[in-house]
Amino acid sequence: MLAYGRGDEAAFGTLYARHKAPLYRFVLRNLRDRGVAEELYQEVWMRVIEARGRYRVQAKFTTWLYTIAQNRLADHWRKRGLKLVELDGADAPAPVGDEPAARAEGRQGLARFAAALAALPEAQRAAFLLHEEAGLGVAEIAAATGVGEETAKSRLRYALAKLREALADG
Amino acid sequence: MAELDRDPRVSAAYRALGAERPPPEIDAAILAAARRRPVRWGVPVSIAAVVVLAVGVVMRVAQEPRREPEPAAVVHPALKAPAAERKAAGSVAREAAGPAAQARDEAPPHPAARAPVPARANIALGKVAAAPETPEHWLERIAKLRAEGRSREADESLAEFRRRFPDYRMSDEMRRRVAPR
Repeated sequence: MLAYGRGDEAAFGTLYARHKAPLYRFVLRNLRDRGVAEELYQEVWMRVIEARGRYRVQAKFTTWLYTIAQNRLADHWRKRGLKLVELDGADAPAPVGDEPAARAEGRQGLARFAAALAALPEAQRAAFLLHEEAGLGVAEIAAATGVGEETAKSRLRYALAKLREALADG
Repeated sequence: MAELDRDPRVSAAYRALGAERPPPEIDAAILAAARRRPVRWGVPVSIAAVVVLAVGVVMRVAQEPRREPEPAAVVHPALKAPAAERKAAGSVAREAAGPAAQARDEAPPHPAARAPVPARANIALGKVAAAPETPEHWLERIAKLRAEGRSREADESLAEFRRRFPDYRMSDEMRRRVAPR
């Protein structure tokens, strides 16, 4: 990012290639609406681009990037009145048909997992996705979401427990 | 603070949900935006303010009825204004020429801070320059580009729009019309 700030455009390409897919999934899985997610995803990168001249190293770039994303999500949820977005099925596994039993069971398990992820409270889902997609540790999740480390750890622990439970239900 | 270990079963199930990636046209729009040089508003806005002022004075003078018999020089009404008014006009011009405030990344800037600055000079100095494009009109233009199949121009324009109006919330209908296909 510092190199990009000095005018090295190729450095941005490297950063973008490294972070684009995990960040895209982080936003998409948090919102579950592809159109809104793509809009917000672009807004996050525009913030990064705009900040090129004043970026200072205060934390890992990844933590900073996901802090911006988390703040944009928080803005989005605030504007929507913190309403939970329903699972729209767009990314859920296809319904079970005449598949072999093991494969059908696997799809059902995945569907339960997807539903459990979508049903998590936003703060817990964000903590899980920061852990899983961005590879952030508890302290970094706390920094990105603006809460204490105990809170971040508790959110992550609850999220993992609910997702394990969804897997165990099969 | 001890880290929580990853649960391999949870991680595997999560990975099985899919490995979506952003569409290529969004990649292209973001990379194109990253290549653009940052706009330094100070100089262009100063020039715009001077041009608007000069054009305004010329037009006012041109509209003044000629009174042949009077030998006295034509004095522009702005120069006849009380000192306080002239001072106020000067402060608007100075404000218009100033650099845009840099907001923190986390705090969305006030929409007014994002408005094209010359618009303020237009208000203060009369309707001389063309009004800046509204977000709605801009989006209509992007939708038109999209409808005409001019995807690259539409992508770049949309990226620029989002850079200029990061907090603008467009309707679902408009989002559908301007979104990359």
